[in-house]
Amino acid sequence: MNTARETAAHSNLAACHLCCKLASANVHHCPRCGSAMHLRKNDSIQRTMALLVTACLLYIPANLYPIMYTDQLGTTEASTIMGGVVLLINLGSAPIALVIFIFSVMVPSGKLMAMFYLVWTVERHSPLSPRQRSIMYRVTELIGKWSMVDVFVVAILVALVHLGGLMVIRPGIAALSFAGVVIVTMIAAESFDSRLIWDNMEEKNSDN
Amino acid sequence: MSGEIACHSCDLLVNVASLKHGESAYCPRCGCFLTRYRNDAYDRVLAFASAGLVFLVLANSYPFLSFASNGLESVMTLRQTPGALWANGMPEVAALVAAFIIVIPAAVLLMMLAVCIPLNQGRYHPWMVPLAKGIFMGHNWSMVEVFIIGVIVSLVKIAAMATVVIGLSFWAYAAFTICFTVAVASLDRYQCWERIEALGAR
Repeated sequence: MNTARETAAHSNLAACHLCCKLASANVHHCPRCGSAMHLRKNDSIQRTMALLVTACLLYIPANLYPIMYTDQLGTTEASTIMGGVVLLINLGSAPIALVIFIFSVMVPSGKLMAMFYLVWTVERHSPLSPRQRSIMYRVTELIGKWSMVDVFVVAILVALVHLGGLMVIRPGIAALSFAGVVIVTMIAAESFDSRLIWDNMEEKNSDN
Repeated sequence: MSGEIACHSCDLLVNVASLKHGESAYCPRCGCFLTRYRNDAYDRVLAFASAGLVFLVLANSYPFLSFASNGLESVMTLRQTPGALWANGMPEVAALVAAFIIVIPAAVLLMMLAVCIPLNQGRYHPWMVPLAKGIFMGHNWSMVEVFIIGVIVSLVKIAAMATVVIGLSFWAYAAFTICFTVAVASLDRYQCWERIEALGAR
């Protein structure tokens, strides 16, 4: 069986997060690159939870307030993230609307749910497939930064569209909170230690 | 040198000492990618990193996009992307955008050149350690490919309102994105650190 294989922690070895160096679990700094070294990331679950809650709070203004304003011939039009998706569908560009919907709505909310789920299963010592949860974590880590697309779109439109009194695009406060959501969830994913998923399994096996 | 690596996803110890040119190792328990060995890794990194830097300079030298409607025209350069946010009272977002699309990727490529030139020649300097740390911390925070998608989405959004012309800088930035991605993918974390350590111990 796979779990009969030796882990670094069983051999009293810690791996450096930054340079992969294996060293005795008793040292505090990596002998190769000098980074702080731990057997498992410090207070991983608490830190991840705190960051996830922060991200959830930031996610509220990110969706309620306008992400950008379009001033056209004296009238101002505010658009939220979801409003932008609807506008694109009305313009007839459904594929781009889908791209924005996936990156700005599904990825951030899916990422938050996936991280909460992973933290919850680790806390409950869940027996659910650790391999599948590992893959879930890696996908979450990989897609996180793609939600920045909407912030970049606002940045580009603001820089590009400034035609005097005819048409100007200005950024809205949601751009700031949405950028916050993306960065805080990226840090949350980084502070989660996926090895905890497997530690639970090993405890179970050694109990038997 | 033990040749052992602990899977950073599940902590399993795996022996990767016998990898040959072009071979990759994956964790047998969780399937996570571990390392890939190439005997020409540093040549590739140097080629793509230096090409990437040239394209980044070009991307900063020409118009990125221009936008015309009813006889009025506005031209945007790459630097104005964060610049306009700054001017519109959003310095925090401007700083993040500048960091993710220009500053961090440029710093990562420069550090790659500084580390991989001596690695390729088999020389060791103590300053290679902090620079290599910078590379592996920084590359997670570059969003060059995300920015390219952002440009394409913006084009579609405003194509209906006015005439948009793609400038030379856009193509230079697209080439920069490709070079950056290949350079990052060619520099293997484990192999790079093993080599630094081996050269330092001599």
